[in-house]
Amino acid sequence: MNLQDFNIKIYPLKDKIFRFAKRMLEQTEEAEDLVQEVFIRMWKNREKLDEYRSLEALAMVTAKNLCLDKLKAKKHPVESWDHQIHLIERMAEQTRPDHSDLVLGVKEAMKTLPEQSRMIVHLRDIEGYEYNEISEIMGMQENAVRVALSRSRKRIREILVKEKSYEYQRS
Amino acid sequence: MNIKEAEELIAKYYEGETNLSEEKLLKEFFLGDDVPEHLLPHQPLFRFFVDESHETLSDEKQDEVLTRRLEQYRLETATVKEHPGKRRLYYLSGIAAGLLILVGLVFVIRNEAEKRQHQTLANTSAELAYNQTKQALTLMSVGLNTGLDAVQHFTTLGNAIGQVQKFNTFNKYQIQFINPERMQTPSINK
Repeated sequence: MNLQDFNIKIYPLKDKIFRFAKRMLEQTEEAEDLVQEVFIRMWKNREKLDEYRSLEALAMVTAKNLCLDKLKAKKHPVESWDHQIHLIERMAEQTRPDHSDLVLGVKEAMKTLPEQSRMIVHLRDIEGYEYNEISEIMGMQENAVRVALSRSRKRIREILVKEKSYEYQRS
Repeated sequence: MNIKEAEELIAKYYEGETNLSEEKLLKEFFLGDDVPEHLLPHQPLFRFFVDESHETLSDEKQDEVLTRRLEQYRLETATVKEHPGKRRLYYLSGIAAGLLILVGLVFVIRNEAEKRQHQTLANTSAELAYNQTKQALTLMSVGLNTGLDAVQHFTTLGNAIGQVQKFNTFNKYQIQFINPERMQTPSINK
């Protein structure tokens, strides 16, 4: 695979990888870095890329693994500092006029999901992947993906309902 | 899509039983303005999904950064790419040197072994020569001894002659004892 092939076949995946990474890492800059990292890994493997059935799945698997690594590294130190920055960012985002509180509520609800479930919901409901594609990316059985997805959707609904009732109580 | 269909699809959606096109229909339905009051709680969810799917990697600048980074990386790997060759050469030369040393060692060891073999061969041949000489000498000595045996006969003979001489003297005197007159006679006769 040369640079031209790379630009045609893999580079267009940048938005998908970015959205996925941002969903998981919750920070734009880190997500941007992760896109670059995925591309670099793909480029390093460019001679073996022809062996893969789906380059997109491979790119997403790479993104998933990198995200999990980053999240694992994040969990230990400097959490309080990161968390503070994160809170400030969130406050800034909340002041944006084009996001209604309710839609933002979905975002917050998604954050409460376990990593794997969050990935599955993102891949299905935002990126519109088929079950077999998600099962390939996640390394899970299709049925397990289905079950996890259904459970996560219901959980988001529950949280939204709770928030809503809380808001109603307040107002 | 009418409201009843929407309700059914929403139920299916939460069970994870909708397919992608049905989910797309739901998204379109909730993006519209004619969402009935009782379905409004579900609206943020689908709006959020649609909103999020439009997010792109910031702007053109980011694209540039990525392309540049990729190009830079490509150049890096292109220069790095020579390194594996060089490294391979290093490895190869190392292996070659190792082989040379091995071959040299083998030669030295073989030479040494050959030398030792020669020595043992020489040793054995010397031994052989020694043995042959010894054998020859033994043979000779045996022959000499047989000669000595023969000489022994002479000594026995000499002894025997000595014995016989004694008899002679005895006989001489016996005659004198037995026949003193005869002995004397001649003397007398003489």
